[in-house]
Amino acid sequence: MKTSTRTKLYGLLAIAAFVASVALAHGDKKHVVGTLEKINADSVVVKTAAGKSVEVKLVATTIYVWHAGNEDRPAKVADLAVGDRVVIHAAPKGEALEAYEVKFSGPRPLLPKS
Amino acid sequence: MSRGNAISLVIVVAIALIAIAAASILHDGLSSRAKPTALETMLARNARHLAIPAGARKLQNPAAETPENLRDARLHFADHCAICHANDGSGDTPIGRNLYPKPPDLRREETQKLADGELFWIIENGVRFTGMPAFGGAPGSEQDSWKLVRFLRHLPQLSDEERMEMERYNPKGPEDLEEEQEENDFLRGAPMQQKPEGAHHH
Repeated sequence: MKTSTRTKLYGLLAIAAFVASVALAHGDKKHVVGTLEKINADSVVVKTAAGKSVEVKLVATTIYVWHAGNEDRPAKVADLAVGDRVVIHAAPKGEALEAYEVKFSGPRPLLPKS
Repeated sequence: MSRGNAISLVIVVAIALIAIAAASILHDGLSSRAKPTALETMLARNARHLAIPAGARKLQNPAAETPENLRDARLHFADHCAICHANDGSGDTPIGRNLYPKPPDLRREETQKLADGELFWIIENGVRFTGMPAFGGAPGSEQDSWKLVRFLRHLPQLSDEERMEMERYNPKGPEDLEEEQEENDFLRGAPMQQKPEGAHHH
């Protein structure tokens, strides 16, 4: 490609790069801290310190972490139990909250390393 | 159509296109919260492709795929790159979500199909008009960048253990560290601290 042609192409691309459509960005992640009140098929309900019940959706990409002592271990959704202490990092998606990470602990023996 | 009319038509069309482009640009006040259109993304990818020297694509990665090199790169990525790209390469971070253009999901084909040399060149030289800076130039940077290329190839298979290790190496401010400590204390049995609505976020 000739230099002048490439320069023109870059010029056109630079102009095109300025033309953008409008889209809403996601909100910041929120931390939901409390005890697990209810476990549904695709969500959990957390009782917070303020006494509120907050529902957080669980999705395929949600990560589960068992916390005991100073150690974090990978876990599964099936390891959650009502009454567990949870710290959920979630992103607002419309009116709902979608969990990115569910870190939890409970009065059970430490899960075996997977 | 006469030559004069044709020139006038071209000028009118050009002015209309400029007006449309200006309206589009000014509509959201040049906000970086916008999402690039598919056309813009395609044009930008092609521009990036043209900008990378052909010779760079042929470079072979001299960093061996060893557990040590992968761990070095993983922790380096957690410390320097994850603030925009996220530990898992998704780009889903407060900064990544609000950049324009957004960082690509490094696990997807659009990135994984790039040659090792192209990835190396991008890490070393950055990408103009984006949030991607050039990391090259410092002593030892080339070796680090080649190791990062190895890690980029590993990203689609990142394990939960690796991601959790990375979290310990993510840069954190005093407030984040304090919040993390409080949350871990709560998980270990400390009383729950009530915070004002909306205080828990970053």
